[in-house]
Amino acid sequence: MKRIVHILLVEDDNLDAMDLKRSLDKLGLLYKLEIAKNGEEAIRTLDSRDIEGNSALDLIILDLNMPKMNGLEFLQILRGNERWRDTKVFVLTTSSENEDRRAAAEFGISGYIVKPLKLNNAGSIDAFNLMIDLMNM
Amino acid sequence: MWLMKISYTILLGFLVILLLFATTTYINYQQSEQIDASNEVLIRSGVVLKHSNRFQRNILNMVSGLRGYLLTNESFFLQSYDSAMLENDQILQELADLVEDSTSQGHLLSDIHTLNESWIEGLAKPLILARQQANKSDSSMKAFNHLYHIKLVAGEERNLNRTLQNRFKAFSNNEYATRDRQRDLLNATIARTGVISFYLTLFSIIIGICIAIFLAHHIASRISRMVRMADSISGGNYEVSMTDHGQDELSALARALNHMAKVLSENISLLKRKNAELDQFAHIVSHDLKAPLRGIDNVVNWIQEDHARDVPEKVMEYLALIKGRIIRAENQLNGILSYSRVGRGLATKETVDVHALLNELREDMPVRPGITLEIQPGLPRLFTEKLPLQQIFTNLLVNAYKYHDKPEGTVRVYFKELPTVYEFYIEDNGPGIPQAYHQKIFVIFQTLQDRDAFESTGVGLAIVRKILDDRKLTIRVVSDAGKGAIFVFTWPKNG
Repeated sequence: MKRIVHILLVEDDNLDAMDLKRSLDKLGLLYKLEIAKNGEEAIRTLDSRDIEGNSALDLIILDLNMPKMNGLEFLQILRGNERWRDTKVFVLTTSSENEDRRAAAEFGISGYIVKPLKLNNAGSIDAFNLMIDLMNM
Repeated sequence: MWLMKISYTILLGFLVILLLFATTTYINYQQSEQIDASNEVLIRSGVVLKHSNRFQRNILNMVSGLRGYLLTNESFFLQSYDSAMLENDQILQELADLVEDSTSQGHLLSDIHTLNESWIEGLAKPLILARQQANKSDSSMKAFNHLYHIKLVAGEERNLNRTLQNRFKAFSNNEYATRDRQRDLLNATIARTGVISFYLTLFSIIIGICIAIFLAHHIASRISRMVRMADSISGGNYEVSMTDHGQDELSALARALNHMAKVLSENISLLKRKNAELDQFAHIVSHDLKAPLRGIDNVVNWIQEDHARDVPEKVMEYLALIKGRIIRAENQLNGILSYSRVGRGLATKETVDVHALLNELREDMPVRPGITLEIQPGLPRLFTEKLPLQQIFTNLLVNAYKYHDKPEGTVRVYFKELPTVYEFYIEDNGPGIPQAYHQKIFVIFQTLQDRDAFESTGVGLAIVRKILDDRKLTIRVVSDAGKGAIFVFTWPKNG
């Protein structure tokens, strides 16, 4: 019995968002994707979700480079709140953002997905496998 | 704190010394004048004594001549009397010239003169006259005997002689005393002059040494400090400054040095900031441009993947062209990123075996089966920064492989040892580079190939140049069209 994986994508570039959707489709994942354009919007979405009692979020996919609040600042707030301390987070990263990835790791991320998205990318494979597993639970 | 200007101090010092020497010279000159004067006195006094002795001898001659004549009536005796008397007249005249009237010598002389006169006029002449007349008659003989008795026997002549002798004794003694006094005076003067000269000279020497020490310390120590400060600056430390509160020429120099160091420091800080800004700028720009490029690439891919059948063939061709340009743009951005990262790493030094380094690089070369890499044996081991050196070799070798135009070819690496640096040579027998482009190829993005035909970031040589420029090293190329190329760069011995 496959379930729908609930994903919150925090990403400001709509092409990158489309790219993720296409990859998830190619993966054959059943998913519900909510998109926040930046960290502030993401916090508001999380808050309203809790209030409305929506079904639990499975994971957050987070872009590190965003206007207003950037990815690391968002992570700090996220982990500071006990409701969201254990939520799984994958960061979207280009191959050259080594320092950012290391910093993000300090906030306890579950892995990363490399841009541009390729399903056979060694770095991204863990993330994709996890999502498939969540679907098949 | 010595406030006078250095030039004035030096002048003053020399003036003082010159003054001292001038004084010494003057004193010695004065002394020689005194010696001259003394000499005159002694000479004159000698003449006076000589005359006086001669006068006394003449008087003896006159006495004996007179006596002889009076006794024997021989005119021979009269002659000796006459000549002695005449000479004494002359002597008296000369002595009158030599002796000053007002002195005691002068008085004695006039006494002697008077006595002499009375001896001649009162004694000798009457007696001679009487004697000459004596033979003429008895009464004259009697008169003569009478006179003889009165003058000579009774003792008048004796008294006169004795008085004369006393005067002469006094006269001579005075003269001797004068000579002695003069000699003593002269000796005292000489002694005194000697002492004064000695002390003046000693004083001059001491002052000279003091001036030399003072100048040496006052000037040399400050100059050394300035030299140390200048060395500091050329060593890269621009924060140094000197304290100097004086007003002289060296203080002005110190203040100028301080100002220069400050300006240098500010300019260098500014330069460093600008460089950092530039690096950061390049980093941000290339990074931020990648996102939209990726977006474009994505969209083109999606069209090609999902709508190949809906889209006319011409449009697909155009899409392929777009993809090609995107790749070129990405390459150039990567090139900019690499270029801006040059020089960011820490300058850590380690032992590097160049031979081993090159062998490792063999694996990283582009696949070109016909190309052989020959590495000269005996390449040095260096204590140096490994990564920059590795980057240079990589870029030069990759170029040699990439641009080779023949199916078979050789790339040679060898070196030459110079006094302070090594020269490394990377030689290939590829297409070569025309002389006109030897400078251009080191400029970023300047490639000599067809832009479409070749995958190249265009920064390989620019990076090599930047690494070497940062370290004040050199690179040159020996090449001509169709004649292969040799790239030669320098690297310091032991870092």
